[in-house]
Amino acid sequence: MAVARVDGLSFTYPGPARPALADVSLEFEAGEVVLVLGPSGSGKSTLLRALGGLVPHFHGGTFAGRVELGGADTRRHRPSELAGAIAYVFQDPEEQLVRERVDGEVAFGLENTGAPANAIRARTHAALDALGVAHLAGRRVHDLSGGELQRVCLAGALALEPTLLVLDEPTSQLDPDAAGELLDLATRQAHDHGLAVVLSEQRPANALEHADRVLFVDGGRVVCDARVEDAVAWLERHRPAYVANPEPPSGSPSPGDVVCSLRAASYAYRDVPAVDGFDLELRSGEIVALLGPNGSGKTTIAKLCAGLLEPQRGTVTRRGRATMLLQDAGRHSVRDRAEDEVALAIRGDRRRARAALESVGLGSAVERHPHDLSSGERERLALAAVLAPEPDLLVLDEPTKGADPERKQALAAFLRAQAHERATLVVTHDLGFAHAVADRRIELGAAAELVHA
Amino acid sequence: MSPGPALALLGAVVAAALLATHTASLAVIVVVLTVVAVRAARHAWVYVAGIAFSAATIFVITPFVETLGSHPIWTGPIVPVVGELDVTREELWSGAHGALRFAAVGLAFAVYALVLDHDRLLEGTRFARRFVLTVVLATRLAPTLDRDARALAEAMRARGIEVRGVRTRTRLLSPLLAGSLERALNLAEAMEARGYGRGATTRLPRASWSNADRAAVAFAAAVVALGVLWL
Repeated sequence: MAVARVDGLSFTYPGPARPALADVSLEFEAGEVVLVLGPSGSGKSTLLRALGGLVPHFHGGTFAGRVELGGADTRRHRPSELAGAIAYVFQDPEEQLVRERVDGEVAFGLENTGAPANAIRARTHAALDALGVAHLAGRRVHDLSGGELQRVCLAGALALEPTLLVLDEPTSQLDPDAAGELLDLATRQAHDHGLAVVLSEQRPANALEHADRVLFVDGGRVVCDARVEDAVAWLERHRPAYVANPEPPSGSPSPGDVVCSLRAASYAYRDVPAVDGFDLELRSGEIVALLGPNGSGKTTIAKLCAGLLEPQRGTVTRRGRATMLLQDAGRHSVRDRAEDEVALAIRGDRRRARAALESVGLGSAVERHPHDLSSGERERLALAAVLAPEPDLLVLDEPTKGADPERKQALAAFLRAQAHERATLVVTHDLGFAHAVADRRIELGAAAELVHA
Repeated sequence: MSPGPALALLGAVVAAALLATHTASLAVIVVVLTVVAVRAARHAWVYVAGIAFSAATIFVITPFVETLGSHPIWTGPIVPVVGELDVTREELWSGAHGALRFAAVGLAFAVYALVLDHDRLLEGTRFARRFVLTVVLATRLAPTLDRDARALAEAMRARGIEVRGVRTRTRLLSPLLAGSLERALNLAEAMEARGYGRGATTRLPRASWSNADRAAVAFAAAVVALGVLWL
């Protein structure tokens, strides 16, 4: 039985002339897990938002065609009226938190949708229990890890007992284990309770194992709609980056001089140790990937190498200049023109700024406002801004977050091509990307101890 | 203590501070609220520093904009339009009074933001629930903006740009505002997707008041009376 039906849907956001979705027709059946793949900006998120009426009601724009959720036409019902039949979990858990405590956060949707008052507490605890986080009920949401937070958000969605659960890149901030666990939990709910799950992902390998059916969206159109086995065959033919096992770099240059070394470096935040007695050596010409679960101290080590933090115990020595691309770097632009943004760190040298923009494929965006660029272009602008000073050490913190497999492949090739110019340290959750880009991989345990090098 | 009675108590302290005529009484209220705020959270100093700066500004400016008293401490030049600059003992007391009153109100807000359980406050609200939710979300804005500003400054440093001086810091205002708007839109979308604004809402049953809660409400009334009669 179809829980949602999309018929001839086309949609254009206010402003751009190009439609985000063009003539999309689909049905979603109860109990099936549908994986939505596609490049960044292809229309995946727009399709997911159309299912619950957020498109067009919340975003505006030109809407044609029809979307029905449980028989209700989304043009005639606001998203708040459809909530309950459909439930969402978005990419960034911190940006969807309304309440301060876990139980309040899970109960928020139940209160809004008018669940009987005496059933709210029981349904809240049942949802938390189903996801194995009942012990977090009284905790403050801001004290939780990324994985715990995303489970709480999923509990908030499941507590509504929806017929359609929509997960928009829910694992982008999670390490592979936490991501796998979240997908396990979501798909188990689908199969146990017969709800349809629609999931978009940029790390397809894990998600393909959980899905029953795959949609591939490109340029606003669904170009593949097939069961998993057929979809994998289609991807191998048409989009190999989505299913390919990344090849390790070949012909790595022999590493040069030491650019940065940590000796027994330790760092604690408010007496909670993040890094304890850690050793690391980075040499010119090599790319080193730092892997490990959330909270293992990867970012702290990266900041120690880049000079943003100084060790509280132990020593760090650095040679030359270091720059670092922080997480969500696309949000950190401060100037009105792309060229000015890049030139900021090189005393306004426009020639070098243009060269840096050219190198990341943004040569035609010199005059554009950073906020007018797409999310992928903003990330590349931020990369140009840290490359322009020609650093001896380049540190990249989760540079593939939100990037589609083809963009990851392109970034890996770009970093490999430039590897001889500097030492590069890449912090990532993405095992495939680490495999493709790094000469050396370092895996951290739970408390920044070296597990494998 | 439940957040409702705690809020009533804070409101009573604010009322007492606004009613108080003795500077020493105000000073006691400010000291008590400062101790409560500082003991509540490590980042309370952000609030305390901001309030102290604003209160000091009030203290410094008041003698130059008020004309009060007959005991001059300092007499300055005659400035066109403004007239003769002077500072009297009474103007200094008035400045101190205004500064302390401002500090008391500001610190009461800091205690509300740092100490109160806003979730339980929202759960306990019987009316104007949307207004209370808006206030609760706005209260969260101060630490969020602080976090965003630190992240931006760190991003600058990561590119080798030192964030020093007014000009460089001013550059951060625009992305801070843009970030806040983006965050607000994302939150609004998530709230609507979870049924916010649909009407006919229910809520978790409210916990009943304890004896401490009742005592706090009685004490709040007493504090207001104290402010009217003696402070």
